[in-house]
Amino acid sequence: MNPLPILRSIPSHASRVSVIALHAFTQLVRMKVFYFLGFFAVILIASNFFNLPQHEGPESAGVNILRSIKSWSLGAMTLFSVVLSIVATALLLPKDVEDRTLYTILAKPVPRLDYLAGKLIGVLLLIFVSLALMDILMTVILHLRTNMVLADQVAAAEARGWPAGDIQILKSDILAQGPTASLQGAVFSVFLRSTIIASLALLISTFSSSTLFTTIISFLIYFIGHFQADARAAYFSQEAGTSDGWFTKMISLLVALILPDFQIFNVIDAVIEGQVMPVLILGKLTLIGLFYAVFYVIASWFIFAKKEF
Amino acid sequence: MTDSLPAVEIRNLVKDFKTSFKRQPLRAVDDVSIRIMPGEVYGLIGPNGSGKSTTMKALLGLVAPTSGQCSIFGKDSMKVDSRNEVGFLPENPYFYKHLSGEETLKFYGKLCGIKGKALNERVAELLALVDLKEASHRRIGGYSKGMLQRIGLAQALIQEPRLVILDEPTAGVDPIGSWEIRDLIFKLRARGITVFLCSHLLEQVQEVCDHVGIIFRGKMVKEGKLEDLIAIEDQTELIMRNASPELVANIERMIIEDGQAQLVRSGRPRTTLERLFLRETQKQETSKSQSK
Repeated sequence: MNPLPILRSIPSHASRVSVIALHAFTQLVRMKVFYFLGFFAVILIASNFFNLPQHEGPESAGVNILRSIKSWSLGAMTLFSVVLSIVATALLLPKDVEDRTLYTILAKPVPRLDYLAGKLIGVLLLIFVSLALMDILMTVILHLRTNMVLADQVAAAEARGWPAGDIQILKSDILAQGPTASLQGAVFSVFLRSTIIASLALLISTFSSSTLFTTIISFLIYFIGHFQADARAAYFSQEAGTSDGWFTKMISLLVALILPDFQIFNVIDAVIEGQVMPVLILGKLTLIGLFYAVFYVIASWFIFAKKEF
Repeated sequence: MTDSLPAVEIRNLVKDFKTSFKRQPLRAVDDVSIRIMPGEVYGLIGPNGSGKSTTMKALLGLVAPTSGQCSIFGKDSMKVDSRNEVGFLPENPYFYKHLSGEETLKFYGKLCGIKGKALNERVAELLALVDLKEASHRRIGGYSKGMLQRIGLAQALIQEPRLVILDEPTAGVDPIGSWEIRDLIFKLRARGITVFLCSHLLEQVQEVCDHVGIIFRGKMVKEGKLEDLIAIEDQTELIMRNASPELVANIERMIIEDGQAQLVRSGRPRTTLERLFLRETQKQETSKSQSK
């Protein structure tokens, strides 16, 4: 005898996770987080007016505006993705416990890992969509502005009688400051960084007693992540040659495992300066992002599986 | 074969909670055993803090027993698949305020693996059952307490469970809402669904349950069939309509003449305040709709 009524089938983990993820995404969208895009558009337009060309030499006129657009846009993307990944993740879990909606979800045949993964993916989906929209906006503005700068610079170079080879170099220099594949890589890196932060906030929220605690600790770890590599390096240089070097190495490794090194994401700054982001670096960042996301989700599951409500 | 299995089997359940200030853990449930067969409506009654909700949470795997075992249709409560056959309405439930009633039911339906046309039909059926068809597109944030309880009951029933667990289903609900929920429990019983509810509102439990357990300070102090527990064995009740004073006098005389039987009390039976309230509000509602 089939114990299940005819109208339903046993859902797969993937389908349950996607139901919870889409719900978390809808929940955040209905909290009107996309209003941030309006602010982003204002920031983007404002960035056009910084580093005005009259302060620059004739060869670099306009190029700094392109840098400014990229710098402000990626800065706003970083701010939005970091704040949202921490606050949204820190909010969703305790809210479900407080409102007892978690009881009704876990009273259905929903494994706790599916619930956690669904919530995290919902937050990440929102960040991904937001970054994609901001990226489109930035790329369009940057493309238009690059063409304007290119036309002005080429006209000026031709007027000065530059040889064709030099004009070609000037063109490629200007285009390198425009919407390149490396810039898209930098935006994806912003997403990878927020994936790590959101997973970390998820872990903290499984044992934290309040949203405030989760938010503060997550931000703290985010800031520590920006200098933990330097701190470890400085400590190693002091400890070099001592007999307990292996022990400090282990401790250092453990610290690196628990607290991610966010300095590796400084490649984004290089892209703003017009440098190329090698595919290998992007691949490395993707692997690091995946590693921390999986590590933190599994750690969250260990805690959450034993949690009583 | 599955019908011979108890819908709920709780064996010697003990649950201790760690306390921050006391060394001794707090024993919320102390050696409680409950067996509910399919189709029964079981009421667990007891004062606040007596361990009713903890017993239900242990049955749903929301808390882990310190010792003892809980199972639903023979499946261990700590395993996820035991929840395939159960629907749960927690005490004072709050659902996602950003969703409408219909979206809420669809969300829970999808979690249980219901899709497409079957889901739409099931949602429509449940919205009609709990009388929320008109409010189905309104956000849950604007629902009254009674409506929340009813949508909660609907989500508990979404996957056609064979067991429904209701934790204080009428807590904070006005008499009309409470009456509607009671009516829904009768409908569930008629469909053969096993109901396990807990409440401290004894009159309601008496009306809907066929089995009851009384829990006090974590211990089960009395359990059994309601009729057996509340019947006064040596008394008989006779309620008559339109009886003349002469007939009443004759009956009283016959009792005295019997010698063995004794008249304990006679008079007019009283309705309850709740019934009076419901009757009067329904009367007002009817006259209002007629005058329109």
